Amino acid sequence: MRALIAAATGLALALALVLTISALGSPSGRTSPKPLLTTVPAHP
Amino acid sequence: MRRTASLVLLACAVFCAALSPLLRWYAFPRLARIPANQYQDMVLEARDATLLDYGTMRAKKVPKVTIVQTLKGDVEAAGKIGRTAGRPVVVWDSLSYVQGPDGRMVSKVPERYIFDAHSQDPVHATGEMVDGDPVRREGIEFKWPFLTQRRDYEYFDAQTRTSSPIHYRGTRTFRGLTVYYFEQTVPWTKVPMPRTMPVQGITPESVARTGTTRWYTTVRRFWVEPVTGAPVYGEEIHQEELRGGTLLGGRAKVTAFAGHVKMREDYIGHTVALVKHNRTLVLALTSYVPRASLALGLLLLALALWLEARTRRPQHPEPTQPGEREPLNA
Repeated sequence: MRALIAAATGLALALALVLTISALGSPSGRTSPKPLLTTVPAHP
Repeated sequence: MRRTASLVLLACAVFCAALSPLLRWYAFPRLARIPANQYQDMVLEARDATLLDYGTMRAKKVPKVTIVQTLKGDVEAAGKIGRTAGRPVVVWDSLSYVQGPDGRMVSKVPERYIFDAHSQDPVHATGEMVDGDPVRREGIEFKWPFLTQRRDYEYFDAQTRTSSPIHYRGTRTFRGLTVYYFEQTVPWTKVPMPRTMPVQGITPESVARTGTTRWYTTVRRFWVEPVTGAPVYGEEIHQEELRGGTLLGGRAKVTAFAGHVKMREDYIGHTVALVKHNRTLVLALTSYVPRASLALGLLLLALALWLEARTRRPQHPEPTQPGEREPLNA
Protein backbone atom coordinates (compact mmCIF):
# COMPACT_ATOMS: atom_id res chain seq x y z
CA MET A 1 0.00 0.00 0.00
CA ARG A 2 2.82 2.40 0.92
CA ALA A 3 4.59 1.58 -2.37
CA LEU A 4 1.42 2.43 -4.26
CA ILE A 5 1.17 5.79 -2.51
CA ALA A 6 4.83 6.53 -3.28
CA ALA A 7 4.32 5.70 -6.98
CA ALA A 8 1.16 7.84 -7.14
CA THR A 9 3.04 10.75 -5.54
CA GLY A 10 5.80 10.51 -8.17
CA LEU A 11 3.25 10.43 -10.99
CA ALA A 12 1.29 13.37 -9.57
CA LEU A 13 4.46 15.46 -9.24
CA ALA A 14 5.48 14.70 -12.84
CA LEU A 15 1.99 15.64 -14.10
CA ALA A 16 1.98 18.85 -12.05
CA LEU A 17 5.40 19.88 -13.34
CA VAL A 18 4.63 19.25 -17.02
CA LEU A 19 1.18 20.87 -16.84
CA THR A 20 2.65 23.96 -15.17
CA ILE A 21 5.49 24.31 -17.68
CA SER A 22 3.08 23.82 -20.60
CA ALA A 23 0.56 26.29 -19.18
CA LEU A 24 3.25 28.94 -18.72
CA GLY A 25 4.38 28.43 -22.32
CA SER A 26 6.50 31.09 -23.95
CA PRO A 27 5.62 34.80 -23.83
CA SER A 28 4.15 36.06 -27.11
CA GLY A 29 5.82 39.47 -26.79
CA ARG A 30 4.95 42.49 -28.88
CA THR A 31 4.88 43.15 -32.60
CA SER A 32 8.29 44.34 -33.70
CA PRO A 33 8.41 48.08 -34.43
CA LYS A 34 10.89 47.41 -37.27
CA PRO A 35 9.48 47.97 -40.78
CA LEU A 36 9.24 45.54 -43.69
CA LEU A 37 12.44 46.29 -45.57
CA THR A 38 12.64 48.17 -48.87
CA THR A 39 16.41 48.57 -48.74
CA VAL A 40 19.14 45.94 -48.82
CA PRO A 41 20.54 45.36 -45.32
CA ALA A 42 24.34 45.38 -45.07
CA HIS A 43 24.37 42.30 -42.81
CA PRO A 44 21.92 39.93 -41.04
CA MET B 1 15.06 3.56 7.54
CA ARG B 2 15.83 1.46 4.47
CA ARG B 3 12.14 0.99 3.86
CA THR B 4 11.59 4.79 3.76
CA ALA B 5 14.56 5.26 1.43
CA SER B 6 13.26 2.65 -0.99
CA LEU B 7 9.82 4.31 -1.02
CA VAL B 8 11.38 7.73 -1.75
CA LEU B 9 13.45 6.14 -4.52
CA LEU B 10 10.31 4.53 -5.95
CA ALA B 11 8.50 7.91 -6.01
CA CYS B 12 11.50 9.49 -7.79
CA ALA B 13 11.65 6.58 -10.26
CA VAL B 14 7.96 6.98 -11.20
CA PHE B 15 8.44 10.77 -11.43
CA CYS B 16 11.34 10.40 -13.89
CA ALA B 17 9.72 7.60 -15.91
CA ALA B 18 6.44 9.54 -16.23
CA LEU B 19 8.25 12.76 -17.14
CA SER B 20 9.73 11.15 -20.26
CA PRO B 21 6.51 10.55 -22.32
CA LEU B 22 4.81 13.63 -20.83
CA LEU B 23 7.59 15.90 -22.09
CA ARG B 24 7.72 14.30 -25.52
CA TRP B 25 4.00 14.01 -26.30
CA TYR B 26 2.34 16.60 -24.05
CA ALA B 27 4.81 19.43 -23.45
CA PHE B 28 6.60 19.40 -26.84
CA PRO B 29 3.54 20.29 -28.99
CA ARG B 30 2.67 23.06 -26.54
CA LEU B 31 6.15 24.50 -26.06
CA ALA B 32 7.75 24.13 -29.51
CA ARG B 33 6.08 26.98 -31.34
CA ILE B 34 7.00 29.74 -33.75
CA PRO B 35 7.03 32.93 -31.66
CA ALA B 36 4.16 35.25 -32.57
CA ASN B 37 6.51 38.26 -32.53
CA GLN B 38 9.14 36.87 -34.89
CA TYR B 39 10.94 39.36 -37.12
CA GLN B 40 13.29 38.05 -39.75
CA ASP B 41 14.88 39.34 -42.92
CA MET B 42 16.62 37.52 -45.73
CA VAL B 43 18.61 38.69 -48.74
CA LEU B 44 18.75 36.69 -51.94
CA GLU B 45 20.71 37.57 -55.07
CA ALA B 46 20.55 36.63 -58.73
CA ARG B 47 23.87 37.33 -60.43
CA ASP B 48 24.09 37.86 -64.20
CA ALA B 49 20.32 37.97 -64.42
CA THR B 50 18.07 39.10 -67.24
CA LEU B 51 15.72 42.00 -66.49
CA LEU B 52 13.17 43.86 -68.57
CA ASP B 53 13.96 47.51 -69.30
CA TYR B 54 10.52 49.12 -69.20
CA GLY B 55 11.85 52.16 -71.13
CA THR B 56 12.67 50.15 -74.25
CA MET B 57 10.53 47.09 -73.40
CA ARG B 58 13.57 44.90 -74.12
CA ALA B 59 15.29 42.36 -71.89
CA LYS B 60 18.88 43.12 -70.90
CA LYS B 61 21.62 41.42 -68.88
CA VAL B 62 22.29 42.97 -65.48
CA PRO B 63 25.06 42.13 -63.00
CA LYS B 64 22.77 41.59 -60.03
CA VAL B 65 19.15 41.59 -58.91
CA THR B 66 18.55 41.59 -55.15
CA ILE B 67 15.49 40.28 -53.34
CA VAL B 68 14.90 41.41 -49.76
CA GLN B 69 12.37 39.26 -47.93
CA THR B 70 11.06 40.35 -44.53
CA LEU B 71 8.75 38.41 -42.21
CA LYS B 72 7.11 40.21 -39.31
CA GLY B 73 4.76 38.59 -36.80
CA ASP B 74 1.62 40.54 -35.92
CA VAL B 75 1.09 39.61 -32.25
CA GLU B 76 -2.28 41.36 -31.83
CA ALA B 77 -3.78 39.76 -34.96
CA ALA B 78 -2.37 36.36 -33.90
CA GLY B 79 -4.07 36.68 -30.50
CA LYS B 80 -7.43 37.59 -32.05
CA ILE B 81 -7.39 34.84 -34.69
CA GLY B 82 -6.00 32.33 -32.18
CA ARG B 83 -8.90 32.93 -29.79
CA THR B 84 -11.40 32.33 -32.63
CA ALA B 85 -9.54 29.30 -33.99
CA GLY B 86 -9.01 27.83 -30.52
CA ARG B 87 -5.32 27.17 -31.09
CA PRO B 88 -2.09 29.17 -31.07
CA VAL B 89 -1.70 31.01 -34.34
CA VAL B 90 1.06 33.01 -35.99
CA VAL B 91 0.31 35.85 -38.40
CA TRP B 92 3.20 36.77 -40.64
CA ASP B 93 3.17 39.90 -42.75
CA SER B 94 5.85 39.52 -45.37
CA LEU B 95 7.27 41.66 -48.13
CA SER B 96 9.31 40.44 -51.09
CA TYR B 97 11.06 43.55 -52.37
CA VAL B 98 13.00 43.14 -55.62
CA GLN B 99 15.67 45.70 -56.45
CA GLY B 100 17.55 46.15 -59.73
CA PRO B 101 21.30 46.81 -60.06
CA ASP B 102 20.69 50.59 -59.96
CA GLY B 103 18.88 50.27 -56.63
CA ARG B 104 15.46 50.97 -58.12
CA MET B 105 12.43 48.91 -57.23
CA VAL B 106 11.54 46.14 -59.70
CA SER B 107 8.58 44.74 -57.77
CA LYS B 108 7.22 44.42 -54.28
CA VAL B 109 4.74 41.80 -53.22
CA PRO B 110 3.22 41.86 -49.71
CA GLU B 111 1.65 38.77 -48.18
CA ARG B 112 -0.25 37.83 -45.04
CA TYR B 113 0.30 34.21 -44.00
CA ILE B 114 -1.67 32.75 -41.06
CA PHE B 115 -0.73 29.34 -39.65
CA ASP B 116 -0.73 27.07 -36.60
CA ALA B 117 2.23 27.94 -34.36
CA HIS B 118 3.25 24.31 -33.84
CA SER B 119 2.08 22.25 -36.84
CA GLN B 120 2.42 25.02 -39.46
CA ASP B 121 -0.99 24.01 -40.85
CA PRO B 122 -2.58 27.01 -42.58
CA VAL B 123 -5.34 28.78 -40.65
CA HIS B 124 -7.93 30.51 -42.80
CA ALA B 125 -9.04 33.93 -41.62
CA THR B 126 -9.92 37.29 -43.07
CA GLY B 127 -6.78 39.09 -44.17
CA GLU B 128 -4.99 36.07 -45.63
CA MET B 129 -3.69 37.48 -48.92
CA VAL B 130 -0.99 37.80 -51.56
CA ASP B 131 -0.46 41.27 -53.06
CA GLY B 132 -3.92 42.34 -51.90
CA ASP B 133 -5.69 39.30 -53.42
CA PRO B 134 -7.53 37.14 -50.85
CA VAL B 135 -6.14 33.58 -50.98
CA ARG B 136 -6.84 30.30 -49.22
CA ARG B 137 -3.52 28.55 -48.67
CA GLU B 138 -3.13 24.79 -48.54
CA GLY B 139 0.09 23.28 -47.29
CA ILE B 140 3.14 25.15 -46.05
CA GLU B 141 5.07 28.27 -47.01
CA PHE B 142 8.51 29.54 -45.90
CA LYS B 143 8.94 26.89 -43.15
CA TRP B 144 8.42 23.15 -42.70
CA PRO B 145 6.86 21.64 -39.54
CA PHE B 146 8.99 20.64 -36.55
CA LEU B 147 10.29 17.06 -36.99
CA THR B 148 10.01 17.23 -40.79
CA GLN B 149 9.41 13.87 -42.43
CA ARG B 150 11.03 12.35 -45.51
CA ARG B 151 8.01 12.86 -47.73
CA ASP B 152 6.48 15.31 -50.17
CA TYR B 153 4.66 18.35 -48.76
CA GLU B 154 2.12 20.71 -50.33
CA TYR B 155 3.88 24.07 -50.80
CA PHE B 156 2.10 27.33 -51.53
CA ASP B 157 3.36 29.37 -54.47
CA ALA B 158 2.66 33.08 -54.01
CA GLN B 159 2.91 33.95 -57.73
CA THR B 160 0.31 31.42 -58.93
CA ARG B 161 -1.64 31.59 -55.62
CA THR B 162 -1.88 27.78 -55.69
CA SER B 163 -0.30 24.87 -53.81
CA SER B 164 1.46 21.91 -55.38
CA PRO B 165 3.77 19.17 -54.06
CA ILE B 166 7.33 19.97 -53.12
CA HIS B 167 9.18 16.67 -53.42
CA TYR B 168 11.59 15.14 -50.92
CA ARG B 169 14.69 14.30 -52.98
CA GLY B 170 17.03 12.88 -50.34
CA THR B 171 19.11 13.57 -47.26
CA ARG B 172 22.21 15.73 -47.61
CA THR B 173 24.83 17.39 -45.42
CA PHE B 174 24.92 21.18 -45.49
CA ARG B 175 27.62 23.03 -43.49
CA GLY B 176 27.76 20.25 -40.88
CA LEU B 177 23.98 19.84 -40.60
CA THR B 178 21.97 16.86 -41.81
CA VAL B 179 19.26 18.33 -44.03
CA TYR B 180 16.41 17.12 -46.22
CA TYR B 181 16.51 18.39 -49.80
CA PHE B 182 13.14 19.40 -51.35
CA GLU B 183 12.41 20.50 -54.89
CA GLN B 184 9.34 21.91 -56.59
CA THR B 185 8.84 22.79 -60.24
CA VAL B 186 6.10 25.25 -61.11
CA PRO B 187 5.42 24.93 -64.86
CA TRP B 188 4.77 27.98 -67.06
CA THR B 189 1.62 29.53 -65.60
CA LYS B 190 -0.22 32.76 -66.33
CA VAL B 191 0.03 34.92 -63.21
CA PRO B 192 -1.37 38.35 -62.20
CA MET B 193 0.66 41.50 -62.70
CA PRO B 194 2.07 42.90 -59.43
CA ARG B 195 -0.09 45.71 -58.05
CA THR B 196 2.98 47.92 -57.72
CA MET B 197 4.69 48.28 -61.10
CA PRO B 198 8.26 49.59 -61.48
CA VAL B 199 7.25 52.49 -63.74
CA GLN B 200 5.11 55.41 -62.56
CA GLY B 201 1.79 55.61 -64.39
CA ILE B 202 1.69 51.95 -65.40
CA THR B 203 -0.88 49.92 -63.51
CA PRO B 204 -1.93 46.26 -63.81
CA GLU B 205 -5.21 47.51 -65.29
CA SER B 206 -3.50 49.61 -67.98
CA VAL B 207 -1.28 46.63 -68.93
CA ALA B 208 -4.33 44.34 -69.02
CA ARG B 209 -6.01 46.72 -71.52
CA THR B 210 -3.09 46.18 -73.95
CA GLY B 211 -3.74 42.43 -73.89
CA THR B 212 -0.26 41.64 -72.54
CA THR B 213 -0.13 38.86 -69.96
CA ARG B 214 2.51 37.78 -67.44
CA TRP B 215 3.78 34.19 -67.29
CA TYR B 216 6.06 32.53 -64.78
CA THR B 217 7.94 29.29 -64.11
CA THR B 218 10.32 28.34 -61.34
CA VAL B 219 12.33 25.49 -59.91
CA ARG B 220 12.36 25.95 -56.14
CA ARG B 221 14.94 24.16 -53.97
CA PHE B 222 15.14 24.02 -50.19
CA TRP B 223 17.64 22.42 -47.81
CA VAL B 224 15.59 21.87 -44.64
CA GLU B 225 16.95 21.03 -41.19
CA PRO B 226 14.45 18.32 -40.14
CA VAL B 227 14.36 18.82 -36.33
CA THR B 228 13.35 22.50 -36.52
CA GLY B 229 11.80 22.37 -40.00
CA ALA B 230 13.75 25.50 -40.89
CA PRO B 231 15.25 25.91 -44.36
CA VAL B 232 18.99 26.62 -43.98
CA TYR B 233 19.44 27.34 -47.67
CA GLY B 234 17.20 28.04 -50.65
CA GLU B 235 17.49 28.63 -54.38
CA GLU B 236 15.14 29.39 -57.25
CA ILE B 237 15.67 29.19 -60.97
CA HIS B 238 13.08 31.79 -61.77
CA GLN B 239 11.77 32.98 -65.16
CA GLU B 240 9.08 35.52 -66.00
CA GLU B 241 7.82 36.57 -69.40
CA LEU B 242 5.37 39.10 -70.78
CA ARG B 243 3.39 37.59 -73.66
CA GLY B 244 1.21 38.98 -76.44
CA GLY B 245 -0.69 42.26 -76.60
CA THR B 246 0.18 45.60 -78.06
CA LEU B 247 2.73 46.46 -75.35
CA LEU B 248 5.39 44.24 -76.94
CA GLY B 249 5.26 45.88 -80.36
CA GLY B 250 4.37 42.77 -82.30
CA ARG B 251 6.71 40.41 -80.46
CA ALA B 252 5.20 37.22 -79.06
CA LYS B 253 7.03 37.43 -75.75
CA VAL B 254 9.78 39.19 -73.85
CA THR B 255 11.68 38.07 -70.74
CA ALA B 256 10.71 40.17 -67.71
CA PHE B 257 13.12 38.41 -65.38
CA ALA B 258 15.35 35.35 -65.55
CA GLY B 259 17.89 34.43 -62.93
CA HIS B 260 19.28 31.88 -60.53
CA VAL B 261 18.31 33.31 -57.15
CA LYS B 262 20.49 32.25 -54.19
CA MET B 263 20.73 33.24 -50.53
CA ARG B 264 23.48 35.76 -49.80
CA GLU B 265 26.51 34.17 -48.13
CA ASP B 266 26.34 36.13 -44.84
CA TYR B 267 22.68 35.19 -44.45
CA ILE B 268 23.50 31.50 -44.98
CA GLY B 269 26.03 31.62 -42.11
CA HIS B 270 23.58 33.49 -39.88
CA THR B 271 20.72 31.07 -40.65
CA VAL B 272 22.87 27.96 -40.06
CA ALA B 273 24.03 29.31 -36.65
CA LEU B 274 20.45 30.17 -35.64
CA VAL B 275 19.10 26.79 -36.73
CA LYS B 276 21.89 24.92 -34.88
CA HIS B 277 20.93 26.77 -31.67
CA ASN B 278 17.18 26.15 -32.06
CA ARG B 279 17.82 22.52 -33.01
CA THR B 280 19.42 21.90 -29.61
CA LEU B 281 16.35 23.35 -27.83
CA VAL B 282 13.93 21.17 -29.82
CA LEU B 283 16.10 18.07 -29.32
CA ALA B 284 16.15 18.75 -25.56
CA LEU B 285 12.34 18.42 -25.52
CA THR B 286 12.03 15.55 -27.97
CA SER B 287 15.09 13.46 -27.22
CA TYR B 288 17.73 14.49 -24.65
CA VAL B 289 15.54 15.12 -21.57
CA PRO B 290 12.94 12.32 -22.21
CA ARG B 291 15.67 9.71 -22.79
CA ALA B 292 17.77 10.79 -19.81
CA SER B 293 14.67 10.95 -17.62
CA LEU B 294 13.58 7.44 -18.64
CA ALA B 295 17.06 6.01 -18.02
CA LEU B 296 17.22 7.69 -14.61
CA GLY B 297 13.75 6.40 -13.77
CA LEU B 298 14.78 2.80 -14.54
CA LEU B 299 17.99 3.18 -12.53
CA LEU B 300 16.12 4.56 -9.51
CA LEU B 301 13.53 1.77 -9.78
CA ALA B 302 16.28 -0.86 -9.75
CA LEU B 303 17.85 0.83 -6.73
CA ALA B 304 14.51 0.97 -4.91
CA LEU B 305 13.87 -2.74 -5.57
CA TRP B 306 17.38 -3.66 -4.41
CA LEU B 307 16.94 -1.68 -1.16
CA GLU B 308 13.53 -3.24 -0.59
CA ALA B 309 14.95 -6.73 -1.10
CA ARG B 310 17.71 -6.03 1.44
CA THR B 311 15.14 -4.79 3.95
CA ARG B 312 13.16 -8.00 3.72
CA ARG B 313 16.24 -10.31 4.03
CA PRO B 314 16.72 -11.56 7.65
CA GLN B 315 19.57 -9.61 9.32
CA HIS B 316 20.83 -12.38 11.77
CA PRO B 317 20.32 -16.19 11.63
CA GLU B 318 17.79 -17.33 14.25
CA PRO B 319 19.41 -18.99 17.27
CA THR B 320 18.79 -22.72 17.57
CA GLN B 321 16.61 -23.92 20.50
CA PRO B 322 18.45 -25.87 23.22
CA GLY B 323 15.79 -28.63 23.22
CA GLU B 324 16.40 -29.33 19.54
CA ARG B 325 19.99 -30.39 20.03
CA GLU B 326 20.70 -33.90 18.91
CA PRO B 327 21.21 -36.38 21.72
CA LEU B 328 24.75 -37.43 22.43
CA ASN B 329 25.59 -41.03 21.93
CA ALA B 330 28.19 -42.72 24.06
